[in-house]
Amino acid sequence: MHVRREVIHIHLPRRSTSKCDMVGMVIERDSVGEEGDDVVTPGEFLGEATEFVAGKGAYVSPNGRSVRACLTGRRKVTAAPPGSHDNRSTIEIVGHKAHGAVPQPGSIVIARVTKVMARNASADIMCVDSKAVKEKFSGIIRQQDVRATEIDKVDMYQSFRPGDIVRALVLSLGDARAYYLSTAKNELGVVSAQSISGGTMVPISWTEMQCPLTGQIEQRKVAKVD
Amino acid sequence: MDVDTGNMTQTNLVDKVVVPGDVVLDLTKMENQTIKLGSGLRQDCDYISVMQAGKLRLSKPNKYWVESSQKRYVPRLEDTVLGIVVEHRSDNFLVDIKAPNLAFLPVLAFEGGTRRNIPKFETGTLIYARVVKANGIMNPELSCTDASGKAAEFGQLKNGYMFETSTGLARMLLSSPTCPVLEALGNKISFETAVGLNGRVWVNASSPDDVILVSNAIMRSEFLSGTQQRIMAEKLLERLQKS
Repeated sequence: MHVRREVIHIHLPRRSTSKCDMVGMVIERDSVGEEGDDVVTPGEFLGEATEFVAGKGAYVSPNGRSVRACLTGRRKVTAAPPGSHDNRSTIEIVGHKAHGAVPQPGSIVIARVTKVMARNASADIMCVDSKAVKEKFSGIIRQQDVRATEIDKVDMYQSFRPGDIVRALVLSLGDARAYYLSTAKNELGVVSAQSISGGTMVPISWTEMQCPLTGQIEQRKVAKVD
Repeated sequence: MDVDTGNMTQTNLVDKVVVPGDVVLDLTKMENQTIKLGSGLRQDCDYISVMQAGKLRLSKPNKYWVESSQKRYVPRLEDTVLGIVVEHRSDNFLVDIKAPNLAFLPVLAFEGGTRRNIPKFETGTLIYARVVKANGIMNPELSCTDASGKAAEFGQLKNGYMFETSTGLARMLLSSPTCPVLEALGNKISFETAVGLNGRVWVNASSPDDVILVSNAIMRSEFLSGTQQRIMAEKLLERLQKS
């Protein structure tokens, strides 16, 4: 069982010269331990800057003396790596939903195409680097990022349809609305798609997939899956 | 849905009215044959079934389709349509063609179109155009040139009167040989029409009386046979003492 102690000072406005103008609250909290069970909120005092390094989710307060939280979650203390000059422990905030997978430039994502338009296609990112995301991210695949060759002759309708599952690469954080994704590699593109008749299609080349129910061939930008 | 296994290498439903769900052909009974399916039919694993209510037609030897008539229009490639401009964006006009989505008409899709001579179409302008891209997912795209880049009667329609009809009547007006009602009217009045396969017809003549007469005659002719159309047109012309 972890025992924690922390003293929070609350200053009351002075009304008189009474000496009881500072009320202290003692909360049981251990300042060194592994993961805490209590939830910390942004702004909450975590430790002294002389004892701790601010990790992910924490920051050093403007006066340079205390480490405070900037996310909601549970605090986690990691001891300093041996052999470093600084032997302060690192305090981080874990358990926040942003600690679920977040697409970063260069990560491979699995997304479902939602809308296909003349010059781009929108997709909902579902997994990042084989880890499912906890909240939905939007991605856009632009016409010039669909494939590597002849990028100005790309027909979006022959590359993707709404409902297709694609493997894509995150190019950049994009704009406020969506990440920019790319399928311009052999192993990127449509991984799974349904035909108009409703059957799951089988890839037959890098541009075509065939429906097993009707034998109809549909065009997609197919990923080369090994 | 009962599959009638008594079907047939040749269907006996040709030229009859069919409704969605009717089985037209059983593919297991036909081997080594190529069948071409037009609109309104779809392949359901082993048999061909109807998707749209209408009359089943066969064009020998192997092309089947369903002829139907509706008030709403589903865009198809290479259809000529009458659209109404709704908005002017930087690189295309948004045009209403009675379809589920607004259509895009690129500002450069005119004969000799460059960035310097973009036509100035206001909201409400009537355009005669051709569908160049139509799939169920994206907005359809139009063009005011034919396949070789010439203007060929496409573009803005000025003056005249536009009214809406069903798609079936529009197809009948465009059929060849000339539709009987248009022929009967054309013998006595000089007028011009533009028929959009999306169910819009534009009529222009030298006097408003003529425009009204022609429009009414066309609107009344949808369910009449050839002879009935001729008689109806003659009666209308007589009333206005044009014969």
